[in-house]
Amino acid sequence: MRKIAALLVLACTPAVGTLMVAQSAPSRSSTLRIPFEGYALPNGLRVVLAPNHASPTVAVTVWYHVGSKNEAAGKTGFAHLFEHVMFTGSGHVPYGVHDRLTEGVGGSNNGTTSRDRTTYYETVPSNYLETALWLESDRMGFLLDTLDVQKLNAQRDIVKNERRQRMDNQPYGLVGEIISNTLYPAGHPYSWDVIGSMADLTAASETDVKDFFRLYYAPGNAIVSIAGDFQPQQAKALVARYFGAFPRGAAIVRPAAPPVTRDRETRLVYEDRVQVPRLVIVWPTVGRGSDDRFALGVLDAITAGPRTTRLTKALVYDRQLATTVGTSQDSDENAGEWRLTITPRPGVPLTDLESAADGILDTLKAEGPTAEEIQRATAGLELDFVNDLESNLGRSMRLADGLGYENDAGSFQTEYQRMMAVTQADVKRVANKYLTKGRVVLSVVPIGKVEMAAKPSESTPYRRTEQ
Amino acid sequence: MTRRALSVVILLFALTGIAALAQATLDRSKPPTPGPTPMLRVPAWTRSTLGNGAELVVSEKHDLPLVSFTLTISGGYNQADPAARRGLADMTAAMMSEGTKTRDGEALAAALQLLGTTVAVRIGGETGAIAFECIASRFPATLDIVADMLVNPSFPPEALERLRAQRLVALVQARDQTGAIASRVFPRLVYGDAHPYGQNITEATLEAITRDDVVAFHRAYFRPGQALVTVVGDVHAAGAKAAIEKALAAWPRGGEKPVFQYPAVAAPRASTIYLVDKPGAAQSTFAIGTTGPPRSTSDYYALQVMNTILGGMFQSRLNANIREEKGYSYGVSSSFAYGKGPGAFRAGGDIVSAKSDAALMEFMKELKGIRGERPITDEELSTAKDALTQRLPGTFASVRSVNTAMVTLWTQGLPDDYYQQYAARIAAVRREDVVRVARQYVDVDHLVIVIVGDRATVEGPLRALGVAPIAITDIEGNPVRP
Repeated sequence: MRKIAALLVLACTPAVGTLMVAQSAPSRSSTLRIPFEGYALPNGLRVVLAPNHASPTVAVTVWYHVGSKNEAAGKTGFAHLFEHVMFTGSGHVPYGVHDRLTEGVGGSNNGTTSRDRTTYYETVPSNYLETALWLESDRMGFLLDTLDVQKLNAQRDIVKNERRQRMDNQPYGLVGEIISNTLYPAGHPYSWDVIGSMADLTAASETDVKDFFRLYYAPGNAIVSIAGDFQPQQAKALVARYFGAFPRGAAIVRPAAPPVTRDRETRLVYEDRVQVPRLVIVWPTVGRGSDDRFALGVLDAITAGPRTTRLTKALVYDRQLATTVGTSQDSDENAGEWRLTITPRPGVPLTDLESAADGILDTLKAEGPTAEEIQRATAGLELDFVNDLESNLGRSMRLADGLGYENDAGSFQTEYQRMMAVTQADVKRVANKYLTKGRVVLSVVPIGKVEMAAKPSESTPYRRTEQ
Repeated sequence: MTRRALSVVILLFALTGIAALAQATLDRSKPPTPGPTPMLRVPAWTRSTLGNGAELVVSEKHDLPLVSFTLTISGGYNQADPAARRGLADMTAAMMSEGTKTRDGEALAAALQLLGTTVAVRIGGETGAIAFECIASRFPATLDIVADMLVNPSFPPEALERLRAQRLVALVQARDQTGAIASRVFPRLVYGDAHPYGQNITEATLEAITRDDVVAFHRAYFRPGQALVTVVGDVHAAGAKAAIEKALAAWPRGGEKPVFQYPAVAAPRASTIYLVDKPGAAQSTFAIGTTGPPRSTSDYYALQVMNTILGGMFQSRLNANIREEKGYSYGVSSSFAYGKGPGAFRAGGDIVSAKSDAALMEFMKELKGIRGERPITDEELSTAKDALTQRLPGTFASVRSVNTAMVTLWTQGLPDDYYQQYAARIAAVRREDVVRVARQYVDVDHLVIVIVGDRATVEGPLRALGVAPIAITDIEGNPVRP
């Protein structure tokens, strides 16, 4: 991510999308209209237009189907480093102009890189739509005209600072990287962190940047998604004008990143500069292609969060063994993870927390959730969905993700319907299928206190390979 | 007004010749000329007073079936927390979600979950709020629960002990983060222990809070005479008012807006570096600043322009230099807190340890530069003004942001036409105003310079730099004998 204050938003044939929203639990339903239209240019660039005249602003998202999974071993962190390079100016846009014509006119801009995709966006007053398309098309078409090694080196230093700020200098900041390294087998494209290693960042060359750009930053691998206050006819003409002449680009071989299954538990202990230990347990799950992710999402919602949820109620409220409990279900394009994180009350051993949590999850797996638990979990989804789609930026990103991953900009509607349709039996089934002994249990403990780990004698110290 | 005249031509062209537009030769060498600036559409609202004396503002917005509700209380922990029980306001806010006379904590949470919403109760430094966002059809039912939380909280003693224990652990965890340490040490050193702005929550103040304190705080603080209710979204003003009157009928009249009086801040000392050791830190957190003016200052608009040039945007001087040009950081910035009292001016960010000395030199260069050593260019001035005024339309995009805009008028005592007049006020700021407020408020001779980092790496180079004397402090800002 280029800037600290970036939003982490959730993530085309002609169509008008309509989101059915249940207005009050079982009885009535009403229709929320999110109009959008999708089409493709002859050069393969896919386009989504979502007019919304609620305020005189417009969001432009450009979505490239490339992320850290497209990197090779020894070149980790490259996709994200490249994202930074995209802000250093291009053939007709000197460095600094991009900010001047977005943030400098009351808008904003940023980029985000994930395992699967890289997005760039601008929000601007609606009279700057053409300007935003000029900026985005220039770096899609003419980035290499002005690229040099100085620019690369400057961004390399900034990215290293980003890594320090987010991970190395952050208590528990390396948990994500340790989990990725451990959950996936060596060489799996999800086995390294998006930000990459310091050594690989140092090694990235100008040639790497140029090759990467030529392969991945072409219309055939991109989506332009526009939401906000504009006339579709005019937007279509502008997109054709600014992006239509670029060549499609070469065919891309997508890396295989299959979901993983583990037949046994891996236990690790990591010593960090922290005073309070933390227990993290991660199970491998499924990618966006599997509908099990919806039931896993509901399982997440009934397990931790509000005080009515199983683990939070038992560990934080009733037995008071923990100060915080959190779970998350994340499905990337090809594989997913279900994660449990627990912070103990002072003096409570992680071993006890682990067995308490396991007991509660075992009960849930044996009995399944109640009907009311399902109802409580799904009741909030409606508000979440409407909130996500309220801003032009959220709308443009959501539509681009659907088009990029599911080849359907309107996939947010099916997602919503499938989440609402999850049953007690679905949740029981996925809990038993995925929350198995094939998991990673990571204890983060203060330096010199490996004995504070959960089951310390069975846990292996995790050694960082580099700083 | 070149931009506007040209824009009309473009607009006509767009209306009459879209097909021609696509085929016309594309000259990428110049940015496209933007069309006319969109008109600012400030949402309309109705204002009234409830039977119990609370003020009510309703603004209708019907594009999505959403409602944003906020009950704002004037005054915050700086007015209401005793110094020895710092954290009482926050604790009371948290206790409001722990149950009512007819719903225990779990029943309350379940009821809100089934309505698909969460209710946030927060008390900040100078205002507090109970707020939620919901699907419009569920507004009346959610409102009833919020009224119950407001009027009938049960404050169970065991909840107090649980919340206290959670906060004590959070305090310990904050000491692992350089940024969190700087955020405690900086205000304490700028304002001192006698000023509410300088007081921190500690183990001792958390331990001192009793259930009786919470009960008394709630009774004294949540009163309609110092409250504003704002409702924004898919409602009708009359219907919303009737629903709120009914829901809040049991909230007894009383209370008044607090007077915001703060003790004088001691005269600032000569600029000093306060170095807090965080062994092994990969980055040093910098917090550099001093006391600033209240939000009511007549210099507000000039200060906004000045700070935008200095450190309010990505291409502001500080970030352009220290991040983009030098590569010492992932991001640096500056801001004014603009309280009811002398809210701080603060510049800083996280700096790679080995460049702490070089970065401090650049911070000082830019702070001196904005005072006149580096003249403000026409482009800097116009970009800062454009950025400030043209972001206004976007702030009315969501029900929540419209709600925030309404609340801001009330808490800051701003006139009804504040948003309409904003652009003209910013436009009126002259270059000499910017330099004048920089000289007045960016007082480079009296800066508190807090650096939290690995002392073994940074102390020597910082001493060699000689920018200011160095005082070593502990993680609470207390002096440490060398």
